[in-house]
Amino acid sequence: MTTPVLEVAGLFRYFGGLPAVRDVSMRIPVGERRLLLGPNGAGKTTFFNLIAGDFPPSQGEIRIFGQNVTRKSASQRTHLGMARTYQIITLFSKNTLLHNVVISLVGLRKIRFNPWSDLRRQTSLWEEARATLALVGLEHVADRTVAETSYGERRRLEIAMALAQKPKLLLLDEPLAGLSADERQDVQRLLQSIPRDVTIVMIEHDMDVALAFADVITVMQHGQVVVEGSRADVVADPRTREVYLGH
Amino acid sequence: MRVPSSMISWLVAVAALLALPWLVTSDYYVNIASQIVIAAILALSLNLLIGFGGMTSLGHAAYLGVAAYLSIYLTAHAGFGHLAGALIAIGATTVLAMLFGFLALRASGLGFLMITLALGQILWGVAYRWASLTGGDNGLGGLKRPHPFGLNLMDPAIFYYFVLAFLGIALWCIARFVQSGLGQSLQGTRDQPRRMRALGYEVWLIQWLSFVFAGFWGAVAGLLYAYYHQFVSPQTLHLTTSAEALLMVIAGGTGTLLGPVVGAALVVILKNIVSAYITRWLILLGVIFVAIVLFMPEGLVPGLTRWVRALRNRPPADKPADAPSVAKGPAR
Repeated sequence: MTTPVLEVAGLFRYFGGLPAVRDVSMRIPVGERRLLLGPNGAGKTTFFNLIAGDFPPSQGEIRIFGQNVTRKSASQRTHLGMARTYQIITLFSKNTLLHNVVISLVGLRKIRFNPWSDLRRQTSLWEEARATLALVGLEHVADRTVAETSYGERRRLEIAMALAQKPKLLLLDEPLAGLSADERQDVQRLLQSIPRDVTIVMIEHDMDVALAFADVITVMQHGQVVVEGSRADVVADPRTREVYLGH
Repeated sequence: MRVPSSMISWLVAVAALLALPWLVTSDYYVNIASQIVIAAILALSLNLLIGFGGMTSLGHAAYLGVAAYLSIYLTAHAGFGHLAGALIAIGATTVLAMLFGFLALRASGLGFLMITLALGQILWGVAYRWASLTGGDNGLGGLKRPHPFGLNLMDPAIFYYFVLAFLGIALWCIARFVQSGLGQSLQGTRDQPRRMRALGYEVWLIQWLSFVFAGFWGAVAGLLYAYYHQFVSPQTLHLTTSAEALLMVIAGGTGTLLGPVVGAALVVILKNIVSAYITRWLILLGVIFVAIVLFMPEGLVPGLTRWVRALRNRPPADKPADAPSVAKGPAR
């Protein structure tokens, strides 16, 4: 049996006395598209942050590519081949889109510690960044600052920054949030084009988009996994309706 | 070939700095210029933390003072030569910056500020109370200026060129650092630390390395300070010295290369020249600082640049009053 890309066992996270994530366990194999569903406050983003290493779990274990990363920092996990996007767009707004992607590329290279070499002269980096922007359809605005771009373009830049690192595990936190219908289609197409050797875990509220994308769906509520299974199983499960409609 | 206006401005500034000993008639003003240059190196080093790293420190006088104390003690009291004394002073002060960075970077924001302040004040207390080593309130003196390459540094003009060379090297190194991988990483950690971690950057380590680099330049300023004054007292390590450096950076413009130099000039001129005419010169400094914050909150250099650009883009006088203009500011 191949090693799962992501394995979570008995994960808990308390904020004070409040359990934000309760006893979550999960195994995600290579290439799977996993969708996390659930109402606001279900603990999806907290779960993401635990996997990404933003804060440690109160209890439980996280393994990425078979390695126990429970006590490893966010940057160490990124160096293993994990990348993420944020629900609230987190970009370098004064810099150009190109510069943002270069920052993303530099994060995995030793040049990040070099106090001498001029980053502007690293032409291969800038070319690679431009190619990544072309991949997400942002080549024409590559030299604009983030502040001069639309919300949809920023969402795509978020994804471009993650893709630039050529991750094997990609965490997407509501990549379609706040987009127009056309922009949603663009981003959907972009997500569909990501090669299958990249495992994707995504939080999304848009059921139609999400169901079309996912192989396996995990429904969360009150920090717990309520339902898990294939699209058909989850849609047919009465607990899913209960979570979303309350009856 | 058309030469860019920024290049012309730089050339004019460099020419003016080089010609200064001939432009001013008295040694007094040349010495003031030397003080400005030394203060500028200190402010530039602090700007690495504040402007490029987003780490506001109130303990930067520590590096100025420790390097000054060490160089004077080693050279004038412990029998070391000038070169050995200078190298040990700078090296030991940089090691101190490693330790202080390790302690201060356990916190961020206000916590960082308070730790740097506390560490600086501890050193001030040591210098004040350990009189057998530091001379206490009387300070430590007896240093004679070195004669590198046969240069007579007792000559104010030669000393000015000596420190100006260090400022040039500092500016070049810091400009290089700012555009380097580490410098860009530091600016990223200033703007989006959480994102930087997610992108694979070791935020703490990047900040610590930058902290040490800033400490090194603070030490260089301290060495030059010791050569200039040939004396050091606990006042050099005091909070007011750190606050003055902070004022230089904020007044000149954080995150710019020229800002701290201009800020240093402003503070040193007010302190040394204006104070001779106005007893309450600190009030004037306060008023100027408030004016800068009100009218150029980004600091003198970026603020003046903005004003000049706005003036250049101003429509011609014969243009109708209601014509759209990019120079028009936001409605008030």
